[in-house]
Amino acid sequence: MPYYLRKRIIDILISAVMLAFLALTLLPVGWMVFSSLKSSTDIAIGRVGLSRSVEGRAEVHWNNYVDMWKNVNFGLYLKNSLIICGATMFFAMVFSTLAAYALSRFRFPGADLFSNTILATQMIPAIMYLIPIYIMFVKFTLMTGIPVKGTYWGIILIYSAFFIPFSIWILRGFFATIPRELEESARIDGCSPFQVFWYIALPLAVPGIIATGIYIFLTAWDELMFAWVLTNSDTMTIPVGIRLFVGNYQNRFDLMMAAATVATLPVVVLFFLLQKHIVHGLTAGAVKG
Amino acid sequence: MARVLLKNVTKMFDDVAAVKDVNLAIKDKEFVVLVGPSGCGKTTTLRMIAGLEEISRGEIYIGDRLVNEVPPKDRNIAMVFQSYALYPHMKVYDNMAFGLKLRGESKKEIDTRVREAAEILGLTVYLDRLPKQLSGGQRQRVALGRAIVRHPQVFLMDEPLSNLDAKLRVQMRAQLQRIHKQLEATIVYVTHDQVEAMTLGQKVAVILNGELQQVDAPLTVYERPTNRFVAGFLGSPPMNFFKGQVRKKEGKYFFECEGFKFEVPADVAGQLASYVDREVSFGIRPEDIWDIPSSGWIDQKFLIETRVEFRELMGSETFVYVKAGPLALTGRVGAMADPQPGSKFGLVFNLRKIHFFDPETQKAII
Repeated sequence: MPYYLRKRIIDILISAVMLAFLALTLLPVGWMVFSSLKSSTDIAIGRVGLSRSVEGRAEVHWNNYVDMWKNVNFGLYLKNSLIICGATMFFAMVFSTLAAYALSRFRFPGADLFSNTILATQMIPAIMYLIPIYIMFVKFTLMTGIPVKGTYWGIILIYSAFFIPFSIWILRGFFATIPRELEESARIDGCSPFQVFWYIALPLAVPGIIATGIYIFLTAWDELMFAWVLTNSDTMTIPVGIRLFVGNYQNRFDLMMAAATVATLPVVVLFFLLQKHIVHGLTAGAVKG
Repeated sequence: MARVLLKNVTKMFDDVAAVKDVNLAIKDKEFVVLVGPSGCGKTTTLRMIAGLEEISRGEIYIGDRLVNEVPPKDRNIAMVFQSYALYPHMKVYDNMAFGLKLRGESKKEIDTRVREAAEILGLTVYLDRLPKQLSGGQRQRVALGRAIVRHPQVFLMDEPLSNLDAKLRVQMRAQLQRIHKQLEATIVYVTHDQVEAMTLGQKVAVILNGELQQVDAPLTVYERPTNRFVAGFLGSPPMNFFKGQVRKKEGKYFFECEGFKFEVPADVAGQLASYVDREVSFGIRPEDIWDIPSSGWIDQKFLIETRVEFRELMGSETFVYVKAGPLALTGRVGAMADPQPGSKFGLVFNLRKIHFFDPETQKAII
């Protein structure tokens, strides 16, 4: 078989496998969007297609997207999610960027111990922390009178604490790829150490910072376990909130699917807006230049 | 502009001395080239002047100020890096203006200086491009421009031309000399390229193994190397060295080795007096070994019969690698001479240009 033909067949095979995986990934998403347009009855009886009206037209239940805001307090959950995830992203990025830069550039006593400890925290499954943190929150409030459980800042604190170590490790790699000579040149040009960071290192690490920030936002957006335990009815996030569509007296899977679709939208928009940075960020440092 | 003074400067990396006890006085407005093979400590020396490397021992003065404890930004120096180190996220204009902005110069002053430097370097049309949109030569000039706009006391250059192609390098050498004259700048320039050292420097400082070997005008370093290291480092192909004995017969001095024996010219022979019947190292550069037809003008010569091993035809000249008995040597002969490999070939030493070195101390005798 000629070389070009063999290469072409291999290319087609690879594409076929990729498409199969893509279908596997997208199928549930498609199912979610499709189900969000069905009636509650159709879902309950397990009808695959849409039900037909008397005239034989397919009935698309667009009003699910209206009802979802009324059935449960979805607006509140959306606001809570935006506040909690946004604040988590902000605090995690500020602290991890500074720490990552320091670890990649400065030698100080305990630097190795510090970075290894950071790595070690990632080895313990998050669920192991759940009960200790819950008890800590309750005891802290008992002892000081300051409410923690059920507040914004309580869950933001926990999320930030979880994401900072991971972010430090990722961002440290980004800072390490910035040539030292750039910073030396800046020092000679008149920069103080902080100015070197601010004017040179930080702008050059932006793709990495954006990629890491989005990862944090997405992961926090999807997080259910801690949010369920540590928030209350005023501060609950979308993953916690949309469970309420399924209750004792009614199962509104149609509205839940609509809410899930709406909850996915900000993430999709964010991703497409910053896609360029994410791809660049994920590959930066792989090749020079 | 200012002078630079290095007093007993030493740099230790753990237990290894990268720079040993360097004493160097660079005058105001002088162009000094630090030259040596890679890893010899020349870049470390430059980085210590810049303040990027701590000094283990010794003192460095810029102007009349001791700068050991002064951070780089307060030394009033500018540095051009081998990799150019342009800020990739800033346009050419901002790259050049960055240092001035940090120093709080007025917008108008910055603009004047950046445009003036761009004019000198022919960069005016590239001012709003990003570094990645420039060619290697253009980037190099931006790096130079960034140094010029600062009007520093001292320019430090770390192999600034080594990433350019051969033709561009020749152009930039000329441009550097012009800039030096135009700005009346003190320049410390590091290179491993001896052509750059010879052509650019008013003074050449040869560094080997972290030690300063010789500081002199380029031609002096070339023609009167203080020791065997310097003699062997400068010149391409390198100087030929032969081990042999000094003999004295009837008031005349001879150099004798396994392959040949010749009489040392009387005007320099006296310096060999204390080496009679002792071993010495004899050195002669390839360009002081001639083919017979073009050697007519030489008044003190020694003819040696050799066998050609191989040759390199350079067009303007020919390097011939020959054997004289057991000894291998290199000569540079005219392009007209046509040494055939395997054939016999007569070569002439110009005895006005010979060197002798003490084999123990490696110091030059003649």
